[in-house]
This record gives sequence, C-alpha cells and structure tokens, in this order.
Amino acid sequence: MEAPRQRLLYLQARTPSVMSNIIGLTLIEPVAGFAPEIHAETAPNWPYKTVHDAVVDGWQIVQFPHLQAPFDDRELDVIGYEFILQKMEVIADE
Amino acid sequence: MNEHLLSDAEVARFLVSGYHLVEPELPAGLNESIAAQLDALDHNPGDAITQAVPELWQVLDHPAVTGALVSLLGPDYEVQSHRHWHCKQPNSPHMNWHQDGLNNRDILLNRFLGLYYPTDVTPDMGPTVIVPGTQFRNAPTDRMATYTNIRGQVPLVVKAGTVAFTHYDLWHGTAANRSPHKRHMIKFLFRRTRDNEAPTWNHDPAATDKPTDWNERDRAEGVTNILNFTNPLGVSQSDHYKERAIRRQNWNYLMGLSA
Repeated sequence: MEAPRQRLLYLQARTPSVMSNIIGLTLIEPVAGFAPEIHAETAPNWPYKTVHDAVVDGWQIVQFPHLQAPFDDRELDVIGYEFILQKMEVIADE
Repeated sequence: MNEHLLSDAEVARFLVSGYHLVEPELPAGLNESIAAQLDALDHNPGDAITQAVPELWQVLDHPAVTGALVSLLGPDYEVQSHRHWHCKQPNSPHMNWHQDGLNNRDILLNRFLGLYYPTDVTPDMGPTVIVPGTQFRNAPTDRMATYTNIRGQVPLVVKAGTVAFTHYDLWHGTAANRSPHKRHMIKFLFRRTRDNEAPTWNHDPAATDKPTDWNERDRAEGVTNILNFTNPLGVSQSDHYKERAIRRQNWNYLMGLSA
C-alpha cells in the first residue's frame, strides 16, 4: 500500500480565531508538477468560509498564526492571519 | 469645471481601493494600430517603447487621461522616463503577487502607474490582477508567496483603450494566458512634483461636509462614508482602523491641508 502524502492548505483569515472568515486560500496538492494559480475572478469559489469549516472537513492545523511580532498601531503589513493545515492522504498519481 | 477631472467620490475611492479605470474615447483605429505595432516588435525596447510606438503619446495626452492625472497628482505631474511594454505570451503561466520596487512604502499619493491595454482583455488572456486596498501595506514580496487567490481581488478584464491607474504599491500579479493571443500592456509611471495647496479635482465642498450616514455606510456617496466604511477585502477591525487613518491623512494632504 502506498504511503500517505501531505496535502497543504494555507488559509489567511481575518483574525487569529479559527472561527474567522477566510480572506485568502492556497491549496498545495502533493503531486509532481502541481502549481497553485491566481485566477481571473473576484469571488473565488472556495469550499470553506472559515478555518473552522476546514477543520470540520478533516484538515489539521499544523501552524497557527505568528503573533510574536511587535504590534504597531499605524503600520499595515500582510493581509490577515495565516493558518497552515494538512491532510495526510494516499494520492493516486495519474 | 473640467468634465474630465475626477469627482470627490472618485478621488476618495482611489484612496480606498488604490486604482481607477479610465476608458478614453481614442481616435478610431488608434488602439488597433498600436496593437499591430506591438505584435510586430521583435525585441523589447524598454524605455524606448514610446520611440518605437510614438502613437502611445496620444493615449497619455487624451483629456480623460490627463484629467485623472491632474486630479490625483496635481497639474504639474511628471511622466517619468521609465516605461515598459509587458507582453504576456500565449500559454504563459500566472505571475505571483508582488509590489514593485523596494519594501519602502509611501503612504501618501506621490506616484502611481498607468497601465494601458490596446486590445480587449478577456479572462483567459492573462489579465493583470490587483488586490484593492493593499497599497498602504508594508509587505515585502517574499511574504506574499503563500497567497494565491484573495477574496476581493480584481482581474483587469477591460475594453481596448482602457488605462488603469494603480497606486505604485498596490499588490498585483497576473492570471495565466491560455488564449492564442498576446496580451499587451504598456506601463507608465507618473509622479507628483509639488504638494497641493488646494484640491486639483472637481471638488464640491458639500461632498466633504456631508455628515456620516450610519445607515448607508459604505454604500453612501459622501467622502466621509467612503473613507470610513469601505473595506474592500473585509480585513479585521484593527487593520481597518489603521486604513481609515491613512486614508484621512491622504485626503487632507490632497486637500492642501497639513497631512
């Protein structure tokens, strides 16, 4: 039997709460040649509205957003708070 | 009143979203002629693209284009010497998010880009994709590498002749070009040369004096509502309050008040 591979899901959420709405989503499939891609669309059709939705669907959070950086009450930097999730699954190569 | 100058609401929306589209009524055949010359180029002339295709000046000199530039950068704006022809070839992949230049953001409105598209751009032609509201973020491009699609991103699927003015620091990338056509874009840079002493657009004092409309919020046309309530990406309260402060600082700067 083949070994499971790590599927990765990067979710940029509105706040550090897992209940927060998702602003950005990147799915990385563990398949040779796979590349995520920006699409010419404004409202992407995502399977999850919140980080919690993904957890309910079996994704496990492997990294929570880093909150150690000093907070500046004027400067803006990246968009949202990034959660990294995984699913270990056996993937059939085509 | 100059009919091509922007309104208060348009200037406020530019501060909020970081972009503004102009569709100048160019002379018949101009877009087609420019596109044909670009199709025929066998090398990229870099800054000399305006020497290779001098008709590009007709686009920059169109009153609808100059009206937007005067509104946002003042009457003495400068067309900078750097410009570039971006030709997205058929079957070329998407381009990741980035901000141009170094990671040293300008939270005032002193320079921006003008992106001219001589042909219609369809979704399969690899349009430029922008992320409204990101222009004030001090985020090095490396930190954007784990983002792909962002709710609220806008593909510049435009008609031939469109000029998209985008804040220099707005996050942008492209979709893949899966069409059989080259997707042309000429990028120009514009710079403010002196601070405003008064508004340089079609300013109506009543627009800024409107009291906050707490019911219509971001749907209202008043400047205060646009600056305070618009949240193009649905960011958190903390970020949104920071954005508000920067937008207000910009607005005061453009009004000729102390920033």
